[in-house]
Amino acid sequence: MTTPGKPHQHPSADDPRIMLDDQIGQFEAVPPYPPRTEREAEFYSLRDGEMFLNMGPQHPSTHGVLRVVLKINGEQVVDLDPVLGYLHRGVEKLCENSDYHHIISQVDPLEYVSSLFMEWAPVMAFEKLLDVEVPRRAEYIRVLTGELLRVSSHVLFQGWMALDLGGLAPILYSFIERDEIVEMLAAITGQRMLFNYFRIGGVNGDLNHEFMSRLGDWMSRAAKQHEANIGLLNENEIFVRRMRGIGRLDAATALRMGASGPNIRASGVPFDVRRAHPYSVYPELEFDIPTRGGNGGGDSLDRYLLRLDEVSQSIRIIDQCLHNMPDGPIMARLPRLLRPRPGRAWAAVEAPRGLYGTYAISDGTDQPFRMKIHDPSFVHLQLVGLLMKNNLIADTMAVMASLDPVMGGIDK
Amino acid sequence: MTTLNRAWGHLTLTGKVVIPLLFLALVVGPIVTIFLATVVGPWLADVLGANPEIVRFVVAITGVLLFSIPAAFIIIYMELKVIAFMNLRIGPDRVGPKGALHSVVAGLKVLTKEDFTPTGADRLVFTWAPVIVFLTAVMVFLVIPFGPGLVGQDLNIGLLYLFAVGGMTVVGLLLAGWSSFNKYSLLGGLRSAAQVISYEIPLTLSVVGLILLAGTMSVYKIAEAQQGWFTDWYVFRQPLGALIFFIAATAEANRTPFDLTEADSEIVAGFATEYSGMRFGFLFFAEYVNVFIISALMTTLFFGAWNAPIDINSILARVGLSPVSVSLDPGSLGIGLLILLLVAPVLLTLIFAAPFYLSRSSRPAWQALVLGFLVFNLVGVMLLGLLAYIGWPWMAGLTWFMLKSFLFVYVFVWMRGTFPRVRIDQLMGFAWKWLLPAALLNLFVTAAAIIIVKS
Repeated sequence: MTTPGKPHQHPSADDPRIMLDDQIGQFEAVPPYPPRTEREAEFYSLRDGEMFLNMGPQHPSTHGVLRVVLKINGEQVVDLDPVLGYLHRGVEKLCENSDYHHIISQVDPLEYVSSLFMEWAPVMAFEKLLDVEVPRRAEYIRVLTGELLRVSSHVLFQGWMALDLGGLAPILYSFIERDEIVEMLAAITGQRMLFNYFRIGGVNGDLNHEFMSRLGDWMSRAAKQHEANIGLLNENEIFVRRMRGIGRLDAATALRMGASGPNIRASGVPFDVRRAHPYSVYPELEFDIPTRGGNGGGDSLDRYLLRLDEVSQSIRIIDQCLHNMPDGPIMARLPRLLRPRPGRAWAAVEAPRGLYGTYAISDGTDQPFRMKIHDPSFVHLQLVGLLMKNNLIADTMAVMASLDPVMGGIDK
Repeated sequence: MTTLNRAWGHLTLTGKVVIPLLFLALVVGPIVTIFLATVVGPWLADVLGANPEIVRFVVAITGVLLFSIPAAFIIIYMELKVIAFMNLRIGPDRVGPKGALHSVVAGLKVLTKEDFTPTGADRLVFTWAPVIVFLTAVMVFLVIPFGPGLVGQDLNIGLLYLFAVGGMTVVGLLLAGWSSFNKYSLLGGLRSAAQVISYEIPLTLSVVGLILLAGTMSVYKIAEAQQGWFTDWYVFRQPLGALIFFIAATAEANRTPFDLTEADSEIVAGFATEYSGMRFGFLFFAEYVNVFIISALMTTLFFGAWNAPIDINSILARVGLSPVSVSLDPGSLGIGLLILLLVAPVLLTLIFAAPFYLSRSSRPAWQALVLGFLVFNLVGVMLLGLLAYIGWPWMAGLTWFMLKSFLFVYVFVWMRGTFPRVRIDQLMGFAWKWLLPAALLNLFVTAAAIIIVKS
């Protein structure tokens, strides 16, 4: 490429003279291939006054490495296109090439904020394949640790929500809570984040003194601290106004798009896997399924408030678990090498972000023939396109943060 | 001679250059000094004496430039520490006592970083935009009175100058956003243009009532008009104006909750995205200088400028005492002054060291002496400060001005630690639907009140 009139000059990448008008397009967010679908062709053609804004994959508030190509007109988001795959590791394939015990550590980092739930669904599916009965104490420990982690995840969500809307302080208060919870879980699992704790037929290690004393300390002030954290943000007029009426999702659309967890409950649908398809010892426990959102469906504020409601319910469940905790073994008796009979099993748990399920097919060997992971964040990400349109750029953060996706589970 | 030769031989190359220069300086230095003092000095004094305004201007410019950087350093450190305290963190604690030198080292770091210009950026504009932003921020200092007599230039259109120059910041931000060749920067620059221009109107209107009351646009005279008790401050006569000014000034300085131009969770630092090195440093400094400026303006216009909240002299007069004044004449002591200067430090150090020495038997004498010396210094500085406070009105004024200004800086930092960010439509709606009518209402009510009182 040479500039006319200067034939012998070698242009370099940072020579401003080579920025001719027709080349500026190469900095746009166009895909590197010719459009494959009509939708792509329509999206990547600009009308007058519109431009692309490439948000991510390295953007502070896309919750990981999501890339969203926004088509904007001034501050208005006209259209958008989420681009996935920057964190793809092929976890399902890795699982199909690991034996049943190894899979637990393979799925752990999928949703790194609440990794016990990532272990729970596969473990339940394999238990169905193997026809194992899990000891009651192990089930109670699973529920106890799981609900602790749900509290930690929702409290962390509160902080992220504020951070994405520009409030700097709440995230640090959230991390204090999360720190206490992961520290007490570290006392029984040995890890702070990727616990690798559930086992097929039970859990790895019984509750110990350090865990119980830390849990006792935390429980004595958990409800009060939760109230304090709520008071920190919910009264804030700016914070509430940023979220009210933004990203309204009505019940019919939520059902149609396959939403689950807090996001669908915030739209008024009382669907909770713990009650709809009971598993573990949840039928024995008392807790409510909070719902929010009136006839118009739930907005970002509803989704935010619903998670705070769930924290109270989780604290209630933890309290019951501590009171009803039976004695007994924590592992079922199983051979060291697991070879389930050929068959297929589906198991789903209510993760903090919604229905997290695993579908496993066994062919009689020590590795699953196929393992499909259903991740709630992935399903919720398709709502992004619906909810963000015709909002302002700043609202994309309010919508994205309120859906609370974790990219690890989405890209798998 | 041989000794000298041998010594010369031992010198390194640097020494062989430096030592002769040192001798030269010793010989030539006094001659030049005498020449300057006898010939050039009087001439210069004549010239400067004939043009006191120029001297004042140059001194003011230098003073303002010298003041703005440490002020920004202090505010940066304050922000880090105060927000850390609010977030239950420790904050900077590595450099200096309690991390006090952190921002200085951060400034040095910024100086040593690579100064990067992105491909496609408009180089000229990209280079000069931070300078415009910084200079407009610093230029505003010129009319702010720091104390009685401590003002760069007492313009009779001071407030107009303030808003004109202060409003020019947006030019720099817009240029920075435009020239970066980055869409986030462009959005940030346009946001700042929309925001600053919208808030300029309520900001200017909010002080019109004050101008009516004071009858002048000179900032210095407005400050003088608030002398006396704290009830004479304009905030009590213009509460609505003060509130509008506070909100609009926050938006003008792009501070939380109106920091949309650099919203890090939306447009990733906005106009500053592509800046690095000292150019980023300029933008960064300008932001903190702006924080000090809006605090200083709040103090000057509405919170009594340099005046103390309590008029001690009027209390004294009511009780029947004469106003406090310092009538020390050190010269009257004669040779006693010399003896005092020689004896007092030693004696007082010993006196202050005695309790330290006696209080704990294991403490060595030198430690007690050092502590005693430090205490002597502390007491001396405090005494001198008190003397200066009583003796020099500008010292007292400066003290109160700084106290009040940094109180407002603290409020701005506090806001940053607490508030989320508003949305652009809420921001604009607030300016045009609420602040502007409120400012107009304030203006009309003030005008009506003045007419009623005068008639």
